[in-house]
Amino acid sequence: MLNKIKIWHFILFVLLTIAVIRYTHLFNLLSLLLSLIQSLFVGNINLSAVIDISLIDNIISLLLIISLPITILRSGKIKKLLSRRLKIADSLLILLLACFIFAPVITLQHPDFQKNISVTKILPPFSLVDYIELKNRSNKNDDNDVKKLINKVVPVSYNENIIFIDSLKVDSSIIYYQSGFQFNVDKNSLVSINNKPVIESKLFLLGSDEFGRDVFTRIVYGSRISLLVGFGAVLVSFILGLTFAFIAVEQGGFANLFLSRLTDLFLSFPAIFLVILIIALFGNSIISIIIVLGFSGWMSLFKVTKSEMLSIKNKEYYLSAKLIGLKNIKLLIREILPVIIVPVTVNLIFQLSNVILAESALSYLGIGTGTEYPSWGSMIEAGQQYITQSWWLIFFPGFTLIISLLSINEIGREINKFLNPTIN
Amino acid sequence: MKKDFYWAILKRVASSILVLLLLVTFIFLLIRLAPGNPTQKYLSPQLSPQLAESVTRSFGLDKSIYVQYSSFVLNLFSGDFGISYNYRQPVFTVIKDYFLFTLIFSSISFIIQLLLGYLLAKYSFRKHGKSIDKYLSKLSIILFSVPTFVIGLILVYIFSVKLDVLPTSGIKSIYHDDLDSIKKLTDFFIHLVLPMITLSLAGIAVFYKYLRDNFDSVKSSSYILNLRANGFTEKEIFKKHLLPNSIQPLISIAGIEFGILLGGALLTEVIFSLPGMGRLTVTAILNRDFPLVIACTFIAGLMMVLSNLAADLIKIKMDKRYLKELIN
Repeated sequence: MLNKIKIWHFILFVLLTIAVIRYTHLFNLLSLLLSLIQSLFVGNINLSAVIDISLIDNIISLLLIISLPITILRSGKIKKLLSRRLKIADSLLILLLACFIFAPVITLQHPDFQKNISVTKILPPFSLVDYIELKNRSNKNDDNDVKKLINKVVPVSYNENIIFIDSLKVDSSIIYYQSGFQFNVDKNSLVSINNKPVIESKLFLLGSDEFGRDVFTRIVYGSRISLLVGFGAVLVSFILGLTFAFIAVEQGGFANLFLSRLTDLFLSFPAIFLVILIIALFGNSIISIIIVLGFSGWMSLFKVTKSEMLSIKNKEYYLSAKLIGLKNIKLLIREILPVIIVPVTVNLIFQLSNVILAESALSYLGIGTGTEYPSWGSMIEAGQQYITQSWWLIFFPGFTLIISLLSINEIGREINKFLNPTIN
Repeated sequence: MKKDFYWAILKRVASSILVLLLLVTFIFLLIRLAPGNPTQKYLSPQLSPQLAESVTRSFGLDKSIYVQYSSFVLNLFSGDFGISYNYRQPVFTVIKDYFLFTLIFSSISFIIQLLLGYLLAKYSFRKHGKSIDKYLSKLSIILFSVPTFVIGLILVYIFSVKLDVLPTSGIKSIYHDDLDSIKKLTDFFIHLVLPMITLSLAGIAVFYKYLRDNFDSVKSSSYILNLRANGFTEKEIFKKHLLPNSIQPLISIAGIEFGILLGGALLTEVIFSLPGMGRLTVTAILNRDFPLVIACTFIAGLMMVLSNLAADLIKIKMDKRYLKELIN
């Protein structure tokens, strides 16, 4: 039974699970999207004031969650490509990619959401915290439907209407307690049914950190940084390695010698110091981290592509394409790339796991992007201070990191084995 | 043959020096072209401009970049890396202690890695096909993928937090100076157990896996089959033919690994707050203490070059054919 599960079955299963769990959210998103499209024609809302990145993010997730199953089911090509037998590494990678793409749908919170730290900080996994909700006073005048929906759908990093409590006492006014302190709140200002305040509870699935932020949400959003930096840096080193190898092979002579020496130079020095130096000098925005990590990893790709290109160089089809007068860039894309793409892919996959590791190490050292965005490495670094009391702050991000690295490496090894069956 | 040997070594050394020079120049340019002024970190804004200027002059930053570079290279050949901005001492006086620690720590870790990797590979080769061999192989892949800082923190959690048997950080206790010499040594030892394990695990996994795979591929080659057909004992074959041929490709990897270790085990040093080269380099970078940065990177590069050279020498010693390869 288990042997018959194919990769596309699992992808559909993951999508369906997300859709079933988050159906209200998706429904809200859909109606929001429809009313936004409607307002395009009617023109009663200033669109540029309403739309921001996290809204677009949400809407892209919605569109993908609808369109992906359809494309998989309709297109025979994709289905054929994904009809290998499912392995554990594949399923873990699919889950990771799902976190990467559908982060705002998988968790409905903002990764930086924090409120009433005295109650919510450093909670163990599976803890429930009660909260009461104040009535919405501020937005009374703009009772626009779209605005309301947006407020419902888009996660915020701070919500003044939610009060986390330890316990509650209902008298003439309402008294609530937060870690030993006592506060009063007017009965009428709370959201209530039948004159009783509504007490809801929030689940911290994997616990909360020292600022009362949900660890699960931060791990899900952390996958975005890891994979974004990973894919970006791999792309950079792919382009660099390919171009340099092409130049070295085509020009030969001095260019070849120089580039080979340069590879030796970069290989002869522990890259992490160079990366830290450049980031410390030129700033640690995501773009600069992607570029620096890309630059630190092109050497192995250069070596692989160069040896492949040397064998292509004297083949007839390549010579004839050259004699026809194809430009260099066309030669590279049309004639060389299709031949070398397969051995290069394996290298790129291993490179991806290297870059993810390097990014988390940088964040752990406090010089990555982790100061601005949630990142696994910076979560581990922050959790290190609380290691005596709260294991979950280190365990969950560390576990996720290990699992991702292992599954990516395993898939690379699998493809390598598939391509070179003699290597064991 | 002797002449060839020296010629090859000379060529190798010359190209290494060139690479080192390129590396240092690259870092020098990178530092000087970066935005911001390193003096700002060491000056209060309230200081008078004349004083600020004199500090800039004392750092040697007031001259043009060509003059700076030429004096830098001249100083480099006389072995003078300048004075650290942060410590106000000659760079080598600052580095000395840190380098000594890294040298001892890394060498011990390297020996542990090689020895345990070899012993485990030998053990699992003897048991090949059995379940323990497969488990060791799987475990080595896992250990190789797990980041150092996660391993370190897991070890700290188990041994320091839960079992409370080993200290979490530093290299000596507060009361270290009151102890007698034997107890001092055990104090060092207790402090360095966890860092040593953290640093060595990944290396053990690499050496194990590499050697194990090499054993397998050499074992299936025809000359081993021939030896066995001629009635040599397994022990003799292993010692005289299988082992040398399997170890050979490992040597260059070991050279690179040792070079990286000598440059400083950054993550391990950060986790356990050890006084090593890696942490010194990074704090120097973050403090913009540029003479120290250049000296540290130079030493890291030098160690890399030296250990690669040593690996080459060992390879030549083991197999004369490699010398021809090197000459060409």
